[in-house]
Amino acid sequence: MTSGKAPAVDLGVEIAGLRLPTPLIAASGTFGYGDEYRAVADYDCIGAISVKGLYLEPRKGCPPPRIWETPSGMLNAIGLQEVGIRRFLSEKLPAVRALGKIVIANICGSSLAEYGELAKILDQAEGVAAIEVNISCPNVAEGGIEFGCDPEMAARATEVVRRGTRLPVIPKLSPSASDMAAVARRVADAGADAVSLINTIPAMAVDVETRRPRLANVVGGLSGPAVRPIAVRMVWEVARGCRLPVIGMGGIANAEDALEFVLVGAVAVQIGTMNFVDPGVWRRTVDGLVAYCRRHHVSALRELTGRMAASAESPAGSGA
Amino acid sequence: MGTPDAVGASSRQDLAVRLLDRDQLSPDAQLLTFEGEAPLRVLPGQFTMVRVGGGGLLRRPYSFCDLLEDGAFTLLVKEVGVGTRALMNLPVGGVVSSLGPLGTTFDPPAAERTPVIVAGGVGIAPFVLLCRRLAEAGRRGIVLLGGRRRPDLYLWDTFERFGMDVRAASEDGSAGHHGLVTELLEAALADAGRPQLYSCGPTGMLLRVAEMAAAAGVPHQVSIERRMGCGMGCCLGCVVWARPASGGPEEYLRSCTEGPVFDAGKIAWDQDPHPL
Repeated sequence: MTSGKAPAVDLGVEIAGLRLPTPLIAASGTFGYGDEYRAVADYDCIGAISVKGLYLEPRKGCPPPRIWETPSGMLNAIGLQEVGIRRFLSEKLPAVRALGKIVIANICGSSLAEYGELAKILDQAEGVAAIEVNISCPNVAEGGIEFGCDPEMAARATEVVRRGTRLPVIPKLSPSASDMAAVARRVADAGADAVSLINTIPAMAVDVETRRPRLANVVGGLSGPAVRPIAVRMVWEVARGCRLPVIGMGGIANAEDALEFVLVGAVAVQIGTMNFVDPGVWRRTVDGLVAYCRRHHVSALRELTGRMAASAESPAGSGA
Repeated sequence: MGTPDAVGASSRQDLAVRLLDRDQLSPDAQLLTFEGEAPLRVLPGQFTMVRVGGGGLLRRPYSFCDLLEDGAFTLLVKEVGVGTRALMNLPVGGVVSSLGPLGTTFDPPAAERTPVIVAGGVGIAPFVLLCRRLAEAGRRGIVLLGGRRRPDLYLWDTFERFGMDVRAASEDGSAGHHGLVTELLEAALADAGRPQLYSCGPTGMLLRVAEMAAAAGVPHQVSIERRMGCGMGCCLGCVVWARPASGGPEEYLRSCTEGPVFDAGKIAWDQDPHPL
């Protein structure tokens, strides 16, 4: 063992023109408008915060029951209950700006025009660093997932946002698209600066005693560790199949989980459902990333993006 | 009711707490005593989100039942699923994570009002700390306990120790009034003179208490139990259709943040598409 202080590890990453102090971003819909966790999460470990999805007008959301726990996962059908862009800018944004974090506004439109209008409003707002474009919510009647499943529609939503703002544009991709890399290539051509994935996977559960669906909306979105291997595969496919930098997410609970996404090609990652389970996830993940980098003699985490080896290791002693 | 800001959101902590004692109250309910690393500042009506090994992915909400002089606290747990089962099987000395205190609080009754508490089953939990505080202030009140059978009338003697006038009802007639706890309410309101109502329990009971309180013009605070994902106001899974305390039209309010204690008159019981 060498003497003296442990070598510094640089966790900073640059993506879509944003310089993040850590590669960890709070996922939209799991971190409120940004300041709700201030008493219990270590905000120094948070690279950026993607706030709850915004429309032009407030939305009341789906009726309850809205959530249901599944093995290692969570179903939700919240239906984008939100305060609308104006109240976000006047009431919510100042509180999260006061915390000194990079704020990513997540937007959703029920029409192309609404996406464009939101982009123009945010372009004029002070304190928003980037726009994540939700083209993948499974729980709203219009907009959302219908934009994300069709490469052409995804491109048109991206294009209209691109025209409305100089801010970095990050479409959030749906795992329901049959070819996510194809969607990613189309949004790249339409002016996206990065992509984030995956949004929740459409899913459902039934109470067999009452024979009723567990969610009032019947279908919801599955998130949490249950979806992680699927998300890792999708990030791998998109990172290989598209020139844009990728923000990966899906059930990340610790450094090892985050590193899986990084090794298959993610530049940054988002932490979502695990905020609900353990607000200590931020500190633990940062500490784990630093420890991993030291153990593997890596001075900057960003060197690890896409560095998964080409083939699996043969089991020891398996012979030729 | 008291709002989170009034009671200090900064008093929230994610603490490792150790199980000190288990009191098996009935075949399917336990009173668990936990000790934390640091004493908690808890007000009556607040809750904690508990994470226990083997208890599923998400935390589960529990009302703080009592706060003891030495800083320990109790939770009343009834078996309903994997989360409660894991907590009820935790060995003494075992450690869980407690994220709290969270949520709004019961307002103390005005000086001229007599508190009347209506509770069904484990809905009695948040009222132990309320009655402890009432007793410390030299206040008396009426506690109406309801359950299916005698063993479901939890902590009867605890409320009597706090000097409360305890009146019970059981659906099978094994203790107290043979019938529903709400059938005791009219007499209790009359005996109280100028009552302040508090309630927590099953939906049907809450609805009936709210109707009677509204008809009699009695102030009524209710603690709502809803499935919760985070307890921190972020997942929006625990909403109830109600008018904000600050005014304005009905909207989905979070029972973790705008509740769990609501003024009953603010809840639109009959308009929620999925009533409690």
